[in-house]
Amino acid sequence: MTHIAPLPREAITDPELRALMAEGEALGVPDDLFPRIIARAPEQAAPLMRALLMSHARGNVDHTLKEIMRILLARFAKDKYFAGLRSTKARDMGLTEMRIDEGCFKYEDDSKGFSEAEKCALRYADLMFLDASQLDKTFYDEMKKHWSEAQIMELGAFIAFHYGMQMFMRSLGAVSRTTSIPAGEPI
Amino acid sequence: MSVNPDAVDAGFFDQLRKHYSEEEIVELGAFIGFNLGYHTFFGSLKFYPLFSPDGRLVSQAESERLYGAAPTSLRPEAAK
Repeated sequence: MTHIAPLPREAITDPELRALMAEGEALGVPDDLFPRIIARAPEQAAPLMRALLMSHARGNVDHTLKEIMRILLARFAKDKYFAGLRSTKARDMGLTEMRIDEGCFKYEDDSKGFSEAEKCALRYADLMFLDASQLDKTFYDEMKKHWSEAQIMELGAFIAFHYGMQMFMRSLGAVSRTTSIPAGEPI
Repeated sequence: MSVNPDAVDAGFFDQLRKHYSEEEIVELGAFIGFNLGYHTFFGSLKFYPLFSPDGRLVSQAESERLYGAAPTSLRPEAAK
């Protein structure tokens, strides 16, 4: 039970929001809980959903890397809702729970096989809310060796937006009802 | 939500409901989340306001001198 009750599905009549909700459910992130809660603020709902989906599933950075970054951030935010959701697109691209855990906890370990570009992006997500003072000129110079400026903006905006929405859903006490994580696996 | 998210509990939401509608609470929560994320991201990019407090267009170097190396909200005295 969230602190703000989600609207019933049938109460959502905005065709754009309904289409975005269907897109989210097909992707697996978010399920219908997030749009049904933000639908209580009708003017905000569609833009928030659009930004969430666009930043995660579109763009010019590998979706499986973004999915690992999204889960890393949700775990750091202690948000049981977004941490429990999984992208079906990333799963279909071959992303496994083991790889997600390696990306969240052991990405600096060379034996795990993350490229220098992937390590940099994961470090970006890791440090943004842990210690942003380390995201200095030296860090951005290293990022620029692997990513274009457009990709760095895409990654930074993705990290900022998803972490913000994760903290919002944590504050509501939201928990995913549609998780596809096997029992016993860490959320 | 930022410095002590555990304090945003059922009791806190009951207090919010005395003053705000559910629509307004969702609007505020999403707004706070959005700003919490983006201010940290923008802070890491080290850019500063284009205008001085008296309305002059200033360089980034001068703006940094005027507004400081860190946003006011991130300075230790702001937390007191």
